[in-house]
Amino acid sequence: MKGRLLTWVFMISIPIFTIAQTTPTINATLSGKIIDQRTKETLIGATVLIKGTTNGGTTDAEGEFFLKTGQKFPFTLVVSYIGYEPKETIITESNITIELDPDSKQLSEVVVVGYGSLERKNLIGSIAKIDPSETKTIQAGSFDAQLQGKVSGVQISSSTGVPGEVINIRVRGATSINADNDPLYVIDGVFINNNSLQTIGTGGKATSPISDLNPNDIESIEVLKDAEATALYGSRGANGVILISTKRGNFEQKPKVNFNASFGQAKATKLWELTTGPEHAQLVNEWWINTGKDTPSLNRTFANRPFRPVSEGGRGLPEEQQTYDRLGELFRTAKLANYDLSLTGGTKSTKYYIGGGFNNQEAIIKPITFQRASFKVNLDQKVNDNVQVGVSNTFTRTYRNQARAGDGPAGGLLQAALHTPTYLSPVNEQGVLVGRAGFDNLTLLLDNYNVNSTSLRYIGNLYADVQLLPNLKFRSSWGIDYNNYNESEYWNNLLISGSPNGLATSSITQFTTWLNEQTLQYRKKIGSQHSLGILVGNTLQSDLQTRTYAEGRGFANNQFTQISSAATTAGSQSWSKSNLASFFGKIDYAFDNKYLLDFSVRADGSSRFGNNRKWGYFPSVGVAWRAKQESFLRDVNWLSDLKIRSSVGITGNQNGIGDFASQGLWTGGASYQGNAGIAPQQLGNADLQWERTRQFNIGIDASIIESRIGFELNYYNKYTSNGLLQLALPAATGFSGYWSNAAEISNKGFEFVLNTVNIRKGSLSWTTSFNVAQNINKIEKLPNPLRYGSRDLILLQEGTPLYSFWVYKELGVSPETGNVIYDDVNKDGQITVADRQILGSIWPKFFGGLTNNFTYKGFDASLFFSFQYGNKIYNHNRFFGEGGGARDAARVILASNNDRWQKPGDITDTPRPDGVNVNNYRDGGSRWLEDGSFLRLRSLNLGYTLPKNTTKKVGIETLRVYLAGTNLWLLTKYTGLDPESSASSSQNQQGIDLGTPPQPLGVQVGINLSF
Amino acid sequence: MKLVKNILSMSLVVLLSSCEKFLEVNPKESISDAVTIVDRTSAETAIRGVYSALASGDYYGTSFQSIGYLSGDNIQWTGSQSQVQEFINKKVNADNATISSAWVAIYRTINRANNVITKVANVTDPQLTQALKNQYIGEAYFIRALAYFDLARTWGGVPLITVPTVNPTDNVGLKRSTQAETYAQVLKDLEAAEPLLPATTDRFRATRKTVWALRARYHLYQKEWAKAEEYASKVITDVTNYRLLKPFSAFFANDARGTAESIFEIFYNGTTEVNSHRGQWQPQTNGGTRQWAPNDALVALLNDPTVGGNRSTLVAKDNQNRWYGNLYYRNPASDPSYIIRIAELYLIRAEALAQQSKLNEALVDLNLVRDRAGIAPSTAATKDNVLLAIENERRVEFALEPHRWFDIVRTGRANTVFGVTDANRLLLPIPVQQLLSDKSLEQNPGY
Repeated sequence: MKGRLLTWVFMISIPIFTIAQTTPTINATLSGKIIDQRTKETLIGATVLIKGTTNGGTTDAEGEFFLKTGQKFPFTLVVSYIGYEPKETIITESNITIELDPDSKQLSEVVVVGYGSLERKNLIGSIAKIDPSETKTIQAGSFDAQLQGKVSGVQISSSTGVPGEVINIRVRGATSINADNDPLYVIDGVFINNNSLQTIGTGGKATSPISDLNPNDIESIEVLKDAEATALYGSRGANGVILISTKRGNFEQKPKVNFNASFGQAKATKLWELTTGPEHAQLVNEWWINTGKDTPSLNRTFANRPFRPVSEGGRGLPEEQQTYDRLGELFRTAKLANYDLSLTGGTKSTKYYIGGGFNNQEAIIKPITFQRASFKVNLDQKVNDNVQVGVSNTFTRTYRNQARAGDGPAGGLLQAALHTPTYLSPVNEQGVLVGRAGFDNLTLLLDNYNVNSTSLRYIGNLYADVQLLPNLKFRSSWGIDYNNYNESEYWNNLLISGSPNGLATSSITQFTTWLNEQTLQYRKKIGSQHSLGILVGNTLQSDLQTRTYAEGRGFANNQFTQISSAATTAGSQSWSKSNLASFFGKIDYAFDNKYLLDFSVRADGSSRFGNNRKWGYFPSVGVAWRAKQESFLRDVNWLSDLKIRSSVGITGNQNGIGDFASQGLWTGGASYQGNAGIAPQQLGNADLQWERTRQFNIGIDASIIESRIGFELNYYNKYTSNGLLQLALPAATGFSGYWSNAAEISNKGFEFVLNTVNIRKGSLSWTTSFNVAQNINKIEKLPNPLRYGSRDLILLQEGTPLYSFWVYKELGVSPETGNVIYDDVNKDGQITVADRQILGSIWPKFFGGLTNNFTYKGFDASLFFSFQYGNKIYNHNRFFGEGGGARDAARVILASNNDRWQKPGDITDTPRPDGVNVNNYRDGGSRWLEDGSFLRLRSLNLGYTLPKNTTKKVGIETLRVYLAGTNLWLLTKYTGLDPESSASSSQNQQGIDLGTPPQPLGVQVGINLSF
Repeated sequence: MKLVKNILSMSLVVLLSSCEKFLEVNPKESISDAVTIVDRTSAETAIRGVYSALASGDYYGTSFQSIGYLSGDNIQWTGSQSQVQEFINKKVNADNATISSAWVAIYRTINRANNVITKVANVTDPQLTQALKNQYIGEAYFIRALAYFDLARTWGGVPLITVPTVNPTDNVGLKRSTQAETYAQVLKDLEAAEPLLPATTDRFRATRKTVWALRARYHLYQKEWAKAEEYASKVITDVTNYRLLKPFSAFFANDARGTAESIFEIFYNGTTEVNSHRGQWQPQTNGGTRQWAPNDALVALLNDPTVGGNRSTLVAKDNQNRWYGNLYYRNPASDPSYIIRIAELYLIRAEALAQQSKLNEALVDLNLVRDRAGIAPSTAATKDNVLLAIENERRVEFALEPHRWFDIVRTGRANTVFGVTDANRLLLPIPVQQLLSDKSLEQNPGY
């Protein structure tokens, strides 16, 4: 290994040695060493040159150089090295050490943009670049979940502690009600599917197709936010675009092997506090007697209270009740293991990346697991000087043991463990395990759960680049995203879903996208001041989703689990397809490196829209002024860079609506007596068209004091019109609604990013990166208010933000009566639907992240916080669990209910127990709407890289060991387990916490090795 | 910028034509609504689609039925969804999810019926004989009559829609008719259906006899006693086809369906046609949630040998000694939904006779039903007592069927029996979502 490296150094040095042959007389000999200013590591292969001569050399494996020269001291030595600022030093003596500063990254960073890449300094649009190596140790199933708090203006809510489930990503707010609000994901040029293919019910949750990607294969992630950046993806750009570039080799690079392994554990830091059996019984008795006082005809008295001595026909006195712990049986310390192995390299005409990965994560609740095995091959081949072809291939198998961790009774883990009253024994009088309160028995559930899914995914791209003329490049590419999603369930007869004789289901969903794209790119410098680029292209895309489903009921016994052995079977099939044709073009122009201007337009035709309105046109224009390049600023030394940029444009959205949304249809599924029947299915709308989002962005990028402090400020204003909506019709028409373009939504806000180099002294460095963003969302136009979520907790109506909570406002508990005082909005003396009001929404007032990185010699550390302020969350567990005894044996009572009002004069938020929903325990009461603000120590990493000198001796280039912690600390007022919880993956039902496993605290150790 | 746009759109025109075909994608699971009912097969399948709507989970499948029995005094609620408790408390809010889904489902049924009534008449297919046409249209009229009857007794007057909705602008903005006008539409449809339908016996689909049975109930609700008696008799006299089976459970137990007890019941095959009722009634050990269960009072009545008799088979105990309703129990969920049984017609006639002061004849009919349940004849002697005996008989005879609420409301005894003092509560509120999407709808008073 070492030998080969020397050869390399030698090869690079040849030209310099050849030049350095002419030295007639020697007046001085000079030896020295070149090191990194920060890390003090020696730099191998750095070039030294005596200024004004051709005399020079390179540093050797020890970072040392030796020169003989005819010059006399003092003279000027020029030192340069890739990735470092060149340095001129006046030399007065030999044996010197010269320190080189690393290039300030911000200025030369290359950013991937739509159909190309740019240096950051020439960027007009608003694009954030994330280095995935910073986040990949965060314990989560998918790379997008790891990005929380890293990108300003991008709100990421994990909403669950189950790895690999759908998370909610919103780039600059949400623009649509019934179309998708998710960004477009493009991986190596392929528009990949990010809609869950899950069909089995897991209580409102769904698996994320993004978790099929191995974070370790990703080289860089770019988030495109404004119209200038996304316009080339016109039809799909309204919610932002996430560009993922996977790792590739380099030409003429020696083979390099990378190996990572990490092992970890995770657990919940907090569980729900429940009443004990005696406390539960006490509350039930109290409720019983209270309701008897309120309604004497019920004949409920102390004498016939439910928990009275068994001898009197009761269930025993409260103090005689047992307490059974079920949560402890469900939650566990979860294990995690991750391995990645890759090989990169290249010859003169070939470069390659081959990677494999395996990830195994347990959820903190039994029996859920997530397992991903992935394999990646990227290959690029130069055919000749003008032609290059290449492929990208990702193969993944994701296997999940799934379980219902959300809403709904049958099979619900949290229902069985959390919502079952603690005083009820898991066994009946005969000692047989029984489910209580309408839920499954937890032990039976954990022993017999058999729900799993396997996702096989292939994402591939094949391209050919042809340099037609020196300035003209043609590219054609074909892409495929194929996903085979295979689910099966088996419910034996011990479980509710399987009663009486077992139920098995099997479902195979296949999703295929194929994509063909041609681009023609022209780039030319005209004179010394003008630079012009032109891009034209087209895309054809086709998405096909099919599903085959079978189920069997009635098995001879629990040994038979396959549908083929069931007494009765049934099956079904579905097919859905959409096509998209697009044409796009972009012209960019730069004058004197100071003024940048570009204009782009994309035309998209979608098969989903009405015959009259299939095509949509999406233009954008952007300008930027690199003020620092002006002569009057060029010499202002404290200002390192200053750029002002602005753009305006229109992008579209069609995702999330049905493939045939614009067509009037009749279905064939309306059978009767087992014979086929037909019936109206949906009304057509030939004018159904693209949802359009107009976005204006103005931003400033600046850095000062040798780029040690850099900041970026953006203001944006998005306005979505023609919003895709299932517009409600009076049901008397026979239809509940039809697809139309009826909604208008606005999002505006600020984003601020600050990057500082706090210390860069010797081998010590400390850098900080802070981002914060604000988004103000508002429904500008909506014909009828829409209600979503359990108990209509979420209301969408004109003039308020999307996902606002619609509740009965509680003014407190009367100390005299113990009853809740509700806000009687219309003053009619009674509390009705008309008194529900909007009290907050899921939108934070601001959110962001703070990262601190430290390095000292071989040590590195990073500390990353994410935060969110001002959002609300509905703690639905409390609605169920604070029933004040009224739900008796049907539901658990949370310990918080112990604080109820008991006698006049009691000051408390928890009212006197009475009938459910009659008064004090009304659905949608505001006391369960809580502040969801939080500050979270998302990750803490400590690493140590062994000195190169040591590891090189055994042929290892880098060896780093690390310790990583995830979610180590949480500051929040939320009384539930996790302020990011959401019971549903559905976009219009966020912010309702019901039986959601929290994001766990995780710790892992790992090793990175390359040679 | 304009020039670029022009050039671009011009070149697009050329490309468009080739793209047009690419952008034409049609579904495989559905057909265009431009061509729907055109021949015998499509007419035949379209009428089945109307029954399918009647059978849906939100109509006779579960939701609408549940309004009828939850609002009575037989059922308790053990779950967490307050929409159920609202019925039991007789305090239904306008945002109640059950009334909303039932309203939607009933009108969906009406629209399907309107499609058949309007389109089948115009089909020219020699395979589709006049007799078949009449049958299909007659069935559609019957189902529409039942749908408006259900709307009228639940909500009062409603928008009367008699033509299919083809475009989003059709049938929008219609005001509510009065309850009398809605009932008039029911009678009109029943009168239209009667001559079109054959006088055969089919317990799963409407025939002329099904029309008679519903007319008997209709006239009972209208307090047209002689007519109610007349139409009830028309069916009762057909003893070869319709009779009270012994024991009581014979019409539902042991997977029975389509027995002589039944005049009209909805068929579910358990796979593609599922009756989700069982999920609400059965205990966890049988794969249900037992969200609603017979209350103590009903359990006592059914288990009283002098009141319930062998109707006690309607309830059973689970492994935790809790009572549950056992009318819907099959797995897969293929229980029929019972719409009209012969027992109802006996009790309709008994009531109609009693109202006409023909007490002895009334007692004969009443006692036939009691006898079948294995209990002694009624000892009621006065008109009021006979009527009360019939009312009480209906409570246990249809303990888990959707009658109790409507019976007590139509006899004007809601205050006496349920303690409902606010007369406005006798009609349920128009679902709030409907008021929001249709400005011409007016809410019932008191909501």
